[in-house]
Amino acid sequence: MSDSRIVVGIAAVYLVACLVIGMLPGRRASDSAEGYVAGDRTLGPLVMFFITGATIFSAFAFLGMPGKAYSQGAWAFMVLAYGAFGFIPFYFLGPRAARLGREYGFVTQGQMVAHRFHSLPIPGVMALISAGAFVPYLAIQIKGAGYVLNSMTQGAVSEQVGGAIVYGVVLVYVLKSGVLGVGWTNTFQGIFMMVLAWAMGLYLPYALYGGVGEMFRRIAEERPELLRAPGLGPDGAQGSWGEYTSAVIVTSIGFSAWPHLFMKAFTARSEATIRRTVVLYPIFSIFLVPILLIGFSGVLFEPAPAQADQILPHMLMSIELSPWIVGLFCAGALAASMSSGDAIVHACSSILVRDGWITALGRKLDTHAERRLIRYLIVVLLGASYGLAFHYEGSLFDLLLYAYGPVVQFMPAVVAALYIRRATGPGVLAGLVVGVSVNILFAVCPDLRPFALHAGLYGFVANVAALALVSAVTRREIDGEERYLAVAAGDDVREPSS
Amino acid sequence: MIRREQEPAWPRVAFACYLGVCACALVWPGYALAGDRIEPFVLGLPFAFAWTIGWVLAAFLGLLVFHGLAGPKDRG
Repeated sequence: MSDSRIVVGIAAVYLVACLVIGMLPGRRASDSAEGYVAGDRTLGPLVMFFITGATIFSAFAFLGMPGKAYSQGAWAFMVLAYGAFGFIPFYFLGPRAARLGREYGFVTQGQMVAHRFHSLPIPGVMALISAGAFVPYLAIQIKGAGYVLNSMTQGAVSEQVGGAIVYGVVLVYVLKSGVLGVGWTNTFQGIFMMVLAWAMGLYLPYALYGGVGEMFRRIAEERPELLRAPGLGPDGAQGSWGEYTSAVIVTSIGFSAWPHLFMKAFTARSEATIRRTVVLYPIFSIFLVPILLIGFSGVLFEPAPAQADQILPHMLMSIELSPWIVGLFCAGALAASMSSGDAIVHACSSILVRDGWITALGRKLDTHAERRLIRYLIVVLLGASYGLAFHYEGSLFDLLLYAYGPVVQFMPAVVAALYIRRATGPGVLAGLVVGVSVNILFAVCPDLRPFALHAGLYGFVANVAALALVSAVTRREIDGEERYLAVAAGDDVREPSS
Repeated sequence: MIRREQEPAWPRVAFACYLGVCACALVWPGYALAGDRIEPFVLGLPFAFAWTIGWVLAAFLGLLVFHGLAGPKDRG
């Protein structure tokens, strides 16, 4: 068998395995929107761990992180920092959300916030913000998958066709099985990616330099600026501590505010499952270390790739490697793309239907019609993201930072809903609108920023200020507020029997 | 409505302070003052890289200890 056939054969076997594993759970879930969106609230600790891990192990991790380490050195360390801290707020937020989800039947973050404040516009605004963050991120997963398939077939399959094939598989199992399909494929893909990350992260420095220590000694001699914090900026000049620090703060706060994490909290079997997932989550961060080693191994590699994000596949295709290793790597990169893409498309369409169509616009749908609409939207979202994927030309890392700008604006709303008695619906709505507007303004016109800080941080500060101010002037008692906060706190709210 | 007894606040406060120290070490000014250098190499890694991994592990250990001590009683 020729080398290229082995490589393509491994990827084909992998895609079929994903399809089978993803479709089987669909036979178990109930035929309802609850079963499709929230997995009938039955996800156990193992699946929960990997489904949340997919948030960090995306095409961004396998292609974007090595690209960042290769081109900007220590700047890429920020991913370890936010990966370690970003999920800790969820240790406290997650169990509260899960209790409320069980009591009131929530399946989305927007429903949870809206119910507290009896506000219809809030979930609609949150759905729009979610789509603004999710769609470009999904586009990058598709582009990453297309790029991998294009590389492994040495150009025989175009990026566009490659992206269509991989996301055709994703489409089939997400449509069939909903969140349970996403959960089991993420578990399979997560284990596969962890093994691959360590194997390649140790193998490439050894094969190219004779070991990790020797690799860094040579980089220290020839490119020492890459090993000093905070690394280099996108222009190749010394990086800014303000940009680095604010990016870590925004991503660390925003990480626990992603809407699909709350949807997973609603799917968890118990609060202990959520806590255990958060406690074990930094393991994923540690597993990013070898991926950074892969990026650094490309620093002195000749010839250089056309784009920094291409460094890993570029090296694999340039050095003499067994086709089995190349094939397994490519399957690992596909796993990274698919495990994030499936979770994102499922979450985004569920949010748009539940929060936008049903809650904000007040449309009535029975459970089967809702499930059907979510499926239609999955097709639409994948189509839109696919179109966007092949127009975007920036780096994956920068896109990730862009996505956190809107997402971090959810955190004040979530904390207000779950903890703050004095917060009001108009306050939360004002915070969201002001925060996102400021973020967009500074993201689009970075020269207007007073200091070189992440645009999302300006938005976040404006968001908190608007929430506090407007809540102070609109404060009034809200029906059901006491009970809502009591349920969130874990108090017993059952009426005592006479 | 029956309110559960309030759990003591000190584990959370201690945990928050510990995380604050870890976080400061990973960004400006802690990282810039103490972690931003190439040598000495630690297990083959430049110091700035090993510094980051060390504090990530420290945060992980802190979370494990907090979960072990307060986790079952903590209600979020």
